[in-house]
Amino acid sequence: MGSSGRCCIPSGAPATCWRPSPALPTSVRIALLAGLLAFLSNLAVLGFIYWRTHDEAASALRGQVIEQGAVLADVYRTGGMPALEDAIHDSNSFGDSQTAVALFDASGQERIGNLAAIPRSPDPLRDGFRNGLLRFRGQTTPQQAALQLHRLPNGEWLVNGRTVGDSFALRQTIERSLLIALVVAVLLGAVCGVILANYVGQRIGGIVAVTNRITALDLSRRVKLTGNGDAFDRLGHRINEMLDRITALMDELRMVTDSLAHDLRSPVGRLRAAAYAAAETTDPAERDQHLTNVLRQADSLTRMLATALEISRSEAMTGREQFTWFDVGALTDELCEMYEPVAEEAGAGLGIERPAGSLPLFGHRQLIAQAVSNLIENAIRYGARGGDIRVLSHKDGKQLAIAVADRGPGIPPERRTEALRRFGRLDSSRGAEGAGLGLALVRSIAHLHGGDLVLEDNAPGLIARLQLPLTDEPRHPPAVPAP
Amino acid sequence: MGRKILLVEDDAETAAYLAKGLGQEGHGVEIAGNGQEGLFRGSDGSFDLIILDRMLPVLDGIAVLKALRAARIDTPVLVLSALASVGDRIDGLESGSDDYLVKPFSFAELLARVNALLRRREARLTAADHRLTVGDLEIDPLSRSVKRAGKKIELKPREYLLLEYFARNEGRVVTRTMLLEQVWDYHFDPGTNVIDVHVSRLRRKLEDGFERPLLHTVRGAGYMLAA
Repeated sequence: MGSSGRCCIPSGAPATCWRPSPALPTSVRIALLAGLLAFLSNLAVLGFIYWRTHDEAASALRGQVIEQGAVLADVYRTGGMPALEDAIHDSNSFGDSQTAVALFDASGQERIGNLAAIPRSPDPLRDGFRNGLLRFRGQTTPQQAALQLHRLPNGEWLVNGRTVGDSFALRQTIERSLLIALVVAVLLGAVCGVILANYVGQRIGGIVAVTNRITALDLSRRVKLTGNGDAFDRLGHRINEMLDRITALMDELRMVTDSLAHDLRSPVGRLRAAAYAAAETTDPAERDQHLTNVLRQADSLTRMLATALEISRSEAMTGREQFTWFDVGALTDELCEMYEPVAEEAGAGLGIERPAGSLPLFGHRQLIAQAVSNLIENAIRYGARGGDIRVLSHKDGKQLAIAVADRGPGIPPERRTEALRRFGRLDSSRGAEGAGLGLALVRSIAHLHGGDLVLEDNAPGLIARLQLPLTDEPRHPPAVPAP
Repeated sequence: MGRKILLVEDDAETAAYLAKGLGQEGHGVEIAGNGQEGLFRGSDGSFDLIILDRMLPVLDGIAVLKALRAARIDTPVLVLSALASVGDRIDGLESGSDDYLVKPFSFAELLARVNALLRRREARLTAADHRLTVGDLEIDPLSRSVKRAGKKIELKPREYLLLEYFARNEGRVVTRTMLLEQVWDYHFDPGTNVIDVHVSRLRRKLEDGFERPLLHTVRGAGYMLAA
């Protein structure tokens, strides 16, 4: 059984430590429970059998005795006393030691038959069937029997009966068998319980082993699945999924820190070089120029850090508490108005395409604004030569799409994944200004809203499409306030 | 034009640097080294402005701010913070501060914001004539009409808002981020020169056909509207 007593990692608070309970181990408890269940169910079945057989035997005996009594009474009625005496003799001479037939006179003195004394238990004597004791002639101890008394018209008593010895023995046999069956059932139950407990223990043990490896910071292990889709498989599957997600997040984190460290090297280097140059030079004009460069480099570095931070925050789903209802249509209008002069200076037109009326979205207005402005800036920076830039927004079933389409060179399909990656700069010659974080930030903002950023071919050019699911927020969109 | 400014900042070097710079501008600066002291000194309401670092020992900046506002101290507060994300800025502004500046910042940026806050307080206290004039430029906020030397100038709505903000900060430096935050209500950092393009368009409309420039570029800081 795999319920190891392994404790939490050393740094954990001892109060939250999990320890196995001092009670019975799970396997023993399961075995006991299974045994008890087998015992109870068998007890019920066996009890029923016992009750039924007991009852059957008794009623069969009773039937026999009453029938015999009726036959003898018939014989007396048709043939009178001599015929009855003959019949009693016949019966006794048959040598059946369990069947008793005898006649007693009115005072209870034995006349003929194989009984030594009239059964006296109910006194005075009465007609009818009952269970009682019979003493056979030549025997000293009475035996338990089913018997019947019948008073003949001349005042004599006819007694017939049958000892229960036979059926009693049968009953005892049945009872013994039932008892053995019960013991076997309990043992089998306990064995089944142990097997079951072992099986469960093994399956759980496998999962525990994997989680123990995770605690020891090894994320490569996975829970083995049997593929039969049972509850353990489902649990294992969920744990594996969770591990995949954690691994992906940790990889991403490692990649971000690695690439941050790597990508910060060059701007910090440039910053240092500019500062050094300013310190070295004696010409005031030149120093001024170098110092301006220092400031510019420092600003760019700050901006890069802020963006990287913003991406991490969005990917960690921070900021959802600042979600509000706002009109995406009005927002794109505003951003287009803001960027129109910039596009114009770059030689491009900035057009807007959206349905009339409002496009309410429950989201982070500032971050969506930043995402769309990043897309517009990208389009102006890389696609302005193609002329026409369009900002499209529309509702598409359960999602809202905001797209920026340009007529520039576009991005070939095989490079689109790279373009979305953090620091995934397509043009390494871009130098200090583009840190390669723009599209990654847009995508992380889409993720924060449960959506995604898709890059498509505009033939020619690029369409960057923000796809945001429309959630049914509890608070229905109020009339979007005018900006 | 010296004003009393309370600077609540635990980093002695930053505090000394800012105090020196603000002192050179003619302001009297008092420094508090932690949140508790800042709250204690700020709660008598005698300062014209409080510059409050967000991360402070003993009592953090946002807590100080909330305590001040709860005590009905309406001294303008400028929050300084290393927390740079859009969400943090909005958080800071919503907790009752009048402005939020992310570290690291240039002194010019801080000074511009300090002056704007002081000016806003002054304007609120004196409740001036609603017409704004800068030299021969005349702005009527009610009709949103602009005239220069009696000649009407046609402005788009956003251009008008830009000009009105400049006019309300006449003679003071206004930075690009201030314009983005105040005129457009965006709290992110655009990568392009979008603000410059708008300002130069406005400048063309204001100055075409006139001798004297009105809208000046202040190198390394921003812009200034002055006659």
